Amino acid sequence: MKINKYTHIERSRFIKIYLFLLPTIALFAMFYLMPIITVLFTSFTKWDGFSSPQFNGIKNYLRLFRQGSFLISLRNLLNWSLIAMVGHVGFGVMIAFFLFQKPIGWKVVRSTFMIPNVISAAAWAMIYKFIFNNEFGVLNSLIREIIPNFSVNWFYQSPAAFWAITFTWLFYAVIVTMLVLGDLMAIPKETLEAAKIDGASGMQLTRYIKLPLCRNSIGTSVILSVTSRIAMYENIALTTRGGPGDDTMGLSLILVNNITDYNYGMANATAMVMFIIGILTLLVINRLFRMNEPV
Amino acid sequence: MKQKSSFPTVLFKVFMYLTLIFTVIISVYPILWVIQSSFKSNAAILSSPFSLPDTYNFDAYTSVLNQYSFGTYGLNSLVISTVSTAVSLFIFSMSAYVFAKFRFPLKNFIYVLFTITLLVPGHTKTQPIFSLIMNLNLYDTKTGLMLVYLSGGIAMSLFVLRSTFMSIPMELNEAADIDGAGFMRTFFQINMPLAKNGLTTAGILMFLGNWNEYYFAALLTSSPQNRTLPVALGFFNQAFSYDYTRMFAALTLVVMPGIIVYMFAQSQVQASIASSGIKG
Repeated sequence: MKINKYTHIERSRFIKIYLFLLPTIALFAMFYLMPIITVLFTSFTKWDGFSSPQFNGIKNYLRLFRQGSFLISLRNLLNWSLIAMVGHVGFGVMIAFFLFQKPIGWKVVRSTFMIPNVISAAAWAMIYKFIFNNEFGVLNSLIREIIPNFSVNWFYQSPAAFWAITFTWLFYAVIVTMLVLGDLMAIPKETLEAAKIDGASGMQLTRYIKLPLCRNSIGTSVILSVTSRIAMYENIALTTRGGPGDDTMGLSLILVNNITDYNYGMANATAMVMFIIGILTLLVINRLFRMNEPV
Repeated sequence: MKQKSSFPTVLFKVFMYLTLIFTVIISVYPILWVIQSSFKSNAAILSSPFSLPDTYNFDAYTSVLNQYSFGTYGLNSLVISTVSTAVSLFIFSMSAYVFAKFRFPLKNFIYVLFTITLLVPGHTKTQPIFSLIMNLNLYDTKTGLMLVYLSGGIAMSLFVLRSTFMSIPMELNEAADIDGAGFMRTFFQINMPLAKNGLTTAGILMFLGNWNEYYFAALLTSSPQNRTLPVALGFFNQAFSYDYTRMFAALTLVVMPGIIVYMFAQSQVQASIASSGIKG
């Protein structure tokens, strides 16, 4: 019955339509579908990439969960994700609410806030390596104006390194700001006017009208900010490389190390953990923010 | 009805402006500091980090470009980013077009599959992609990197391009049908020229994404003749980490093209990031 709803002309176009989709389907199969299937199955194997994979059950996962660096990575990811949800998304939402008031120069703020996002994450990580440099970095030079003998090797000592990496991304929440600003601007003027006439204060307006109406974009922001933490690589690899000790280790670094050591099974078990954490975040946040329901 | 500014309102305004100023400073100053330092001597960088340079000469830049072959790396980055952006723009616009204009079986299913790629944490597919490039004998080639970059912006491009094609009136297609223009001609000669804005936006975002990419470029290339700028920066950092002037010049060379592209296409970049929540 479903097939019948297509007219004769529509049906005559099907072949051309699928031909138009074919290149994208090929890319999708090559770079998404096949990789994910490969990752899933070979994460249960011992595989060096040369000989064929040998099934070894959940051994890779057991080994991972006994590795100190992996456990530290998980702890870091948890901490970074919480900081991202509260600090990063919170800051982005705050800036969006400020910009929505259209203060003087709001367009300049919006434009400049985007700049760190259009340059290479690798370059940004290195810029921060110099900003946090103990001898001539911006931060310590500023602090030394007040405390003359101040000296911290941000990226090289514990626990400063964790926070140094955190600050390379914490405030750069322009994507959150743009998403939320989009939702704010979509709120009908009448809704806000009506609430004001009913005597709602600025705080009440934010709490009961604006924030609930932005829950889709805030939910999306939380998901995106956590997935970026899962995939975070340059910020670590080009600054601390996971050090000092394993203090700032991340799952992406473990994954790359396993690939360069030809431990493909272990690499893909790590990838599966990243994948599962990503999907779980997506499902939980979706429920929590009721993102499937109309606003 | 003008509100009287009470004390809390004033306090709020002060806090708001201070926060916004803070935002601007942390977004711009790091880059300005890097640029200004690239004109200073090592000694000046170490002794007075905030001072402006005494003279502006481009010695560090010429040395980085010639001696350390950043010219070659820049050309590599440009070629790789441009070719993969152009090809993927073409491929994705064909898909976006049929999603926007026609009804066909499995339409929604395929669209959801394509766009859900946005939610897969990027690096999980590292090993299969690494092996794929190895097996195709494309390790350490520009072609290999271009191929990987092709798949980069699927979700974002489809969001942007589909809505562009949807905004082109369907009547144009109907008129073309009546005039006997075929499927291909209707796409290439009628719809593509009208989709210029969407194509520019998606193209710029994909170009920026490719230009800035480090992870796969570092993993899939090894020799200097195939190195891209971000990767070269990493190597430079290891080898000449105490030559600060040149390091800052190299950083400026990597960072500026992206900023310039952004400055020329601000509105497009902002609009599409607002709608899709991603870059590149």
